[in-house]
Amino acid sequence: MAELLSALFTWFVFPGFIFLLLCTWAFDWLDRRIIARFHGRVGPPWFQPLADWIKLLAKEDILSTGINERLAAILPMLSFAMVLAASLYIPVAGYTAAAFEGDLIVVLFLLSMPALAYFLAGWISGGAYGIMGGNRALLQYFSYEVPFLMAMVGPAILGNSWSISQIAQQQTGTLWYAFVQPVGFILAIIGLIGKLKRDPLDIPKAKSEVVGGSLTEYSGRKLVLWHLTMEMQAVLGIFLLINTFLGGAITAMVGLNILLFFLMAMVILLSLSTASVIYARLRIDQLAYLGWRVFAPLALLQIAFVVWMGG
Amino acid sequence: MTMSGTTSGTLLTRWAAPMVRWARRKSPWVLHYNTGGCNGCDIEILAALTPRYDVERLGILKEAAPRHADILLCTGPVTLQSRDRLRRIYAQMAAPKWVAVIGSCGCSGGVFQGGPNVMGGIDQVIPVDVFIPGCPCRPEAVIDGLAQLLEMI
Repeated sequence: MAELLSALFTWFVFPGFIFLLLCTWAFDWLDRRIIARFHGRVGPPWFQPLADWIKLLAKEDILSTGINERLAAILPMLSFAMVLAASLYIPVAGYTAAAFEGDLIVVLFLLSMPALAYFLAGWISGGAYGIMGGNRALLQYFSYEVPFLMAMVGPAILGNSWSISQIAQQQTGTLWYAFVQPVGFILAIIGLIGKLKRDPLDIPKAKSEVVGGSLTEYSGRKLVLWHLTMEMQAVLGIFLLINTFLGGAITAMVGLNILLFFLMAMVILLSLSTASVIYARLRIDQLAYLGWRVFAPLALLQIAFVVWMGG
Repeated sequence: MTMSGTTSGTLLTRWAAPMVRWARRKSPWVLHYNTGGCNGCDIEILAALTPRYDVERLGILKEAAPRHADILLCTGPVTLQSRDRLRRIYAQMAAPKWVAVIGSCGCSGGVFQGGPNVMGGIDQVIPVDVFIPGCPCRPEAVIDGLAQLLEMI
């Protein structure tokens, strides 16, 4: 009974659902606030994400005629479930709901599936902008995902494990992997921006080009689920980077761990927001060029360096 | 929303209704459509959305898709050509939705009133909640009108 209760607690309360929802709220608000401060304005109040979610939940849910209604309803739920499932294996300040040898690969798979669902959602939505946004999302996926995956291989080789918790544990006594392989760390952050479709790489949902991308035709509950998926993916991506590159904030003291963890999360969030303010949007061909001719060879060099150094 | 009569249903509505109303007042996303005006009011709307006026403090975001928006900002008199588009955009928006008319032409037809290719004001075609007159109206007037609209929600 006690085991069941503690399992339920880890799934739904602390590293699980409620904690993640609060983190998503904080991430969304802080992100908009930081961008507003960069613009020299005040920005939205702290309850803004909550108001947006409730409003969207209470709005009418329209679909275009001829659309596959069941698929349109399943896709956002499926991608949200994928992201939540990925959250089980990502430790927060050393606490994790589950871990096994190989969960890094499972997490990378679960975090990349929403991109495919996003493409499908645009493809079936029956609007030209949806199809165009979906195609761009798929092309962007092929550009950023390969360097991102290769950047994630570096910590796995150094940590001698495919488990995120293990990789974080390995860094306790030594230098953090972000200092050992700075190129991999930067590539992982760029890959994360591409994965989240955030500002310099928001090609699939560029408002002035493809209106709302894949989500143009979706409203109400489906839209809020898509928003939640994206934002929770951002939170989990930041947590993943902390665990693989910044040592997962594991020290001797529990309170210090949590403080350090959120401090690191803030630093990565700040870098994401800064990137979205200071860089203009790339064209899709520029991103494909960068992804395959610059980022992928750099990531290969990084892996070679890691293998030569310590593998 | 139908009243089911069961206690849980009424409890839920009693709990949820004020919260939903609060959320709608705090998070209005706007969509901007020019029905055939001279572009003056559109420039003023864009000015109101710039960092100087910072309407994101009120939760106002500019959305590009009608499906995502709550408030339709219309400028200009309705020309015969844009009439059907205006109707279609209004139909594409998800309920609950509101319409704010910006500028004298949108309110009454303005100087284009009586023209052979002009229907008149926006209210000839779709229901309007707030009229914000001016030729063009200042960004402060746009924000004041939107704030009054939010009071009505």
